[in-house]
Amino acid sequence: MSVLVYTENWDGKFKKLTFELVSYASEIAKMLNTGLTAVSIGKTGNSELAKAGKYGASKIISIDNEHLKVLDSQAYTNVISEIARAEKASVIVLSNNNTGRAIAPRLSVSLKAGVGSGVSKLPLNINPFTVYKRTYSGNAFAHVVIKSDIRILTLAQNSFELIETPDNSTIVKIDVPVDSALVKTTVKEVQKQTGRILLTDADIVVSGGRGMKSPDNWAPLVEFASLLGAATACSRPVSDEGWRPHEEHTGQTGKIIAPNLYIAVGISGSTQHLAGVSSSKFIVAINTDKDAPIFEAAQYGIVGDAMKVLPKLVDALKKAK
Amino acid sequence: MKILVCISNVPDTTTKIKLAEGSRTIDTTGIQWVINPWDELSLTRALELKDDPSAGVKSVSVIHVGPASSDPTIRKALAIGADDALRVNTESSDAFFVAAQIAEIIKKEHYDLVFCGIESSDYNGSLVGGMVAEFLGMPSVSAVSSIRIENGQPVIVREIDGGKEVITLPVPFVAIVQKGIAKEPRIAAMRGIMMARTKAIRLFEPVHVEPLTEIVTLEKPAPRKACKFIDAENPAQLLELLQNEAKVI
Amino acid sequence: MAKQIIFAFSLLITFAVFFYTVSRIISYFKLTKPGFPVRDPARRFSIMMKVAFGQTKIFRRPVTGFLHALVFWGFCVIIFGSIEMVIDGLSGTERALKFLGPVYDFLIASGDIFALLVAVAIIVFLARRLFFHIARFEGIEMKKRSHRDANISLTLILLLMISLIFMNTGYMGYKTAAGEEIAGIYPFGAILAGMLSGISAEGFRIMYEISWWAHILLIFFFANYLPYSKHFHVFMSVPNVFLSRLDPPGKLINMDSITREVKLMLDPGAAYDPVPAETPPERFGIKDAEDATWKNYFDSLSCTECGRCTSVCPANITGKKLSPRKIMMDLRARMKEKGPMMVKNGKDFSDSRSLLRDYITAEELWACTTCNACATECPININQPSIIVDMRRYLVLEEASAPGELKAVFNNIENNGAPWQYSAEDRLVWAKDIGFEIPVMSGMVAGGKKPEYLFWVGCAGAFDDRYKKVVRSFAKILNHLGVSFAVLGREETCTGDPARRAGNEMLYQMQALQVITTLKGYEVSRIITICPHCYNIFKNEYPDLDGKFEVINYLRLLRRFIDEGKLKIDISALNNISVTYHDPCYLGRANGIYDEPRFILNRLTGNLTEMERNRSFALCCGAGGAQMFKEAEKGDKEIFIERTEDALDTDASVIASACPFCMTMLTDGLKYKNRENDVKNMDIAELIAQSLGLY
Repeated sequence: MSVLVYTENWDGKFKKLTFELVSYASEIAKMLNTGLTAVSIGKTGNSELAKAGKYGASKIISIDNEHLKVLDSQAYTNVISEIARAEKASVIVLSNNNTGRAIAPRLSVSLKAGVGSGVSKLPLNINPFTVYKRTYSGNAFAHVVIKSDIRILTLAQNSFELIETPDNSTIVKIDVPVDSALVKTTVKEVQKQTGRILLTDADIVVSGGRGMKSPDNWAPLVEFASLLGAATACSRPVSDEGWRPHEEHTGQTGKIIAPNLYIAVGISGSTQHLAGVSSSKFIVAINTDKDAPIFEAAQYGIVGDAMKVLPKLVDALKKAK
Repeated sequence: MKILVCISNVPDTTTKIKLAEGSRTIDTTGIQWVINPWDELSLTRALELKDDPSAGVKSVSVIHVGPASSDPTIRKALAIGADDALRVNTESSDAFFVAAQIAEIIKKEHYDLVFCGIESSDYNGSLVGGMVAEFLGMPSVSAVSSIRIENGQPVIVREIDGGKEVITLPVPFVAIVQKGIAKEPRIAAMRGIMMARTKAIRLFEPVHVEPLTEIVTLEKPAPRKACKFIDAENPAQLLELLQNEAKVI
Repeated sequence: MAKQIIFAFSLLITFAVFFYTVSRIISYFKLTKPGFPVRDPARRFSIMMKVAFGQTKIFRRPVTGFLHALVFWGFCVIIFGSIEMVIDGLSGTERALKFLGPVYDFLIASGDIFALLVAVAIIVFLARRLFFHIARFEGIEMKKRSHRDANISLTLILLLMISLIFMNTGYMGYKTAAGEEIAGIYPFGAILAGMLSGISAEGFRIMYEISWWAHILLIFFFANYLPYSKHFHVFMSVPNVFLSRLDPPGKLINMDSITREVKLMLDPGAAYDPVPAETPPERFGIKDAEDATWKNYFDSLSCTECGRCTSVCPANITGKKLSPRKIMMDLRARMKEKGPMMVKNGKDFSDSRSLLRDYITAEELWACTTCNACATECPININQPSIIVDMRRYLVLEEASAPGELKAVFNNIENNGAPWQYSAEDRLVWAKDIGFEIPVMSGMVAGGKKPEYLFWVGCAGAFDDRYKKVVRSFAKILNHLGVSFAVLGREETCTGDPARRAGNEMLYQMQALQVITTLKGYEVSRIITICPHCYNIFKNEYPDLDGKFEVINYLRLLRRFIDEGKLKIDISALNNISVTYHDPCYLGRANGIYDEPRFILNRLTGNLTEMERNRSFALCCGAGGAQMFKEAEKGDKEIFIERTEDALDTDASVIASACPFCMTMLTDGLKYKNRENDVKNMDIAELIAQSLGLY
């Protein structure tokens, strides 16, 4: 018995989400009174692999195979399945990101393991194995019992904190034979984004409206966004007037986005604008009008002049860095 | 090329979700049922490919696993332009069950491309597509934001962290598609509506499969809190709240 | 005798050519679709007298209108003389109708004076065209051919008048010099003859003879030139006015073919005049010339390319491709192109071209706000909007083609019953904390009571944050006045108006039938509306689907209460604030409600200023015709900014409006012009509520 966690790497490096995942899996292993094994596919150096040990993994398996350079859902599933069987994993944890969502369902059928996808808490119960997950796009939460002996969990991003543990991990390199004929995915081209963060992909978006009064006032907003690692957006009148590029227009007739955090500066919150951003996890509004409809949709708000508030926020962020 | 689009029947996304007696399911009174938005985009893209003579798509079929009450939604798919519709006549269960049913049909009917929306707005599972592929031993690609067909070969763009990959796979495979796959929704033309009203939906009996998971309880989220106001003189407080309370920065 | 033979021969040729032209045109008419039945001759006659003979609509532009009226009345009078000339020509008589005595004298004298007046008017018109740049005469649809046509026609008329003048002068001069009896009175002819005293009697007689032949031959030529010219309106305008649509301008014609389908969908057992299976379903909407109705085609033949419609079109004014004149000209041109081919090869003939796209682009069609300014402005009551909507119907119903944002709107109306994505559950959020209980129909009826009025809130009222304040204000007023009313609350769903204006007749009818069922279920008889679009659709269009209710616009209700003394407005309450009023298209032009809002505003303040373009001349706010829900088509300027500027030019501190769409547009306009701090846009209901201390 063990818990297996798939630790994804990006060009050989782990990200914060990897460690959140390991922390989570480690807690589950504790609940089950068993050990945690991490499995990594790709060219990841030992020093990087060892980091997983700091968050609870006792065994770290690394598989580096030419044919697994690119994510092929079928091939990766086969490899992880094999490891899962070898490690007698009873719980397998992946992230609910694109990679996790590509592998988990296939793994489920391969191992006949039920899946709790997009879970945001530790299992509510071990017997029966019950997990807590988001349903109806956040309008309801479900307690799901996974009846199979092996369970797969995909953890929602940004939902578990890092828990450091004493490190006593071992790194094991395994050579898994991969039939190249079974790797069907061929990559023709990779387009990496450089520079500006794509609005539709961004986790944090800072958006400006007519309340900014003039295109010349955008500098503090752009700086604020950049310090937050956020993409910039705008409301319709702003894009109509040409103050900001057309691609930044969010709203019913512009882009519809759902970032983790949407900061609306000088935006009143018309129906059409909110239609574009209402699925954001958190909305913050900065506006001089306390009756502006945006405050009905926001979780946090500042009634004030953006021109005074933004510089203060920028300063605070700079100090924090 | 034959394309199969999997469609799910979900409550319209503006529905205020209420729990039924016992809280195991939602209260379906007065609910307007629609095609899962991701599946609708997926179907739209399939139809766009069919409309393009150079893509060589012969037909677009839709498949649904569910009871007869889903038929109006299936007819909407026909009205929008699907050539034929298949329904596995059973009460739906978990993703594993649904995927197994779909896989059985695909084994019999054979398709070159299977489109699945990356998630459904009711269970947000992101599971059926990948499961179908594994049942059939077929390759699958997820997070597909674009698909086109060049010289009979599908070319896919999938989203990866910080970018996109342009990839190809040999047919048959399962494409698990996300928003961006089609730009605007389709509406049904009158002739489509008139035809869909009378067209037969092909029915299939389910195969016996034990579901692996079960929802035992549903609960409503905590009510949305009123806006927390921060003093304009001390906006740094906002950052603290965003970091520690909301955990978004 | 020889003269009679030549005359008869000319007349015969004229008739033959004319007959040929007319029969060809009739054969094209046979290709078109049936339109409305022509009923109510008495009302039509009265409209004809007013608009055609009274020239009332052409007077909307007073100066050129007056000049045109002179030309028209001149023609009416002179035609008497022309008829006499034909009689004279055939029977060899001279002035055969002189036996009519004083009546004759009067008509001939009028003709003589008008000849001069018309000539002067024509000279002015020609000079304008040749020497001045008149914006209205330009446009992408105005090619060289149009200008040439216009100049030729005007010249012909001028020659007709000159020949008449010299005919009369010659007659006077000759008769006077020869001492013969003068039939008729020629005031101007006499003066001119007197001025040309150097000419001999014979000279005058020759002048008379030549002018006589010139005049009648010009008439013969002109009569046959007209059907091929934009001046066909000389023949077509009066009948076109007689055949005007009698419905309120805001009403769209119901598509019965769709009603059939919708009823079959909702209840397959329902027998709605089932169409036999062999009949191929007719095309929905207008794609090509043969899909238009006979009246559309009649309109296109009557159109004289004056461009008044285009000059008031809000889309055209702001640089979009749409031009109502172009729509009419394109239909006429397309029928001229395809008609002969269809007559020869059968109605199914295709030349791989079409009115849609080859003549009229989708972009033009999607720019329309259905404001009815064009139809209101047209001096001969042409109905341009119906062609635009029918072509939208083709695009949506046959091709499932529409701007992406509108497709999303259609899906929203279908899925959640409103143009935006909001749950029906939230339709009473506006009523929260209003201070009293808003009666909801279901609760009231369950308690065994029935309200006098159903207050139809509408989707904007339920979901538009700014407009919710207007609904609250009006509800407070109703409550204050003790009016017995109820709202449908969560049972309300979209009337289908945005879908209908955008051409989605199917979705509209599905919504309408649903609403009608709900209303009938509650035995609703009186509906109060605050939104002009809801008002228009309930009043004018729902009856076609058997939804007959008494529909009252809130301004009319308020006015009634003021008249009855129930609603007392203290004029000092608003401190004589300066107000201007924007006429919503669907209240004003579409339904003729102009006075009530002004009456009310005059009670609220002593300081009401009109915008330059007001009442039936008011500029649309730009949101109608489903524009509210989509990006504007490419143009130079936004319509709502143009209208806001109209309002700001009055220097009023309040822009009063009576429509949720107008309010969104004007409020945005004020923000755009950075005037939202000193100028406010308020609904009339809000102003009344303010004056009553209820706001």
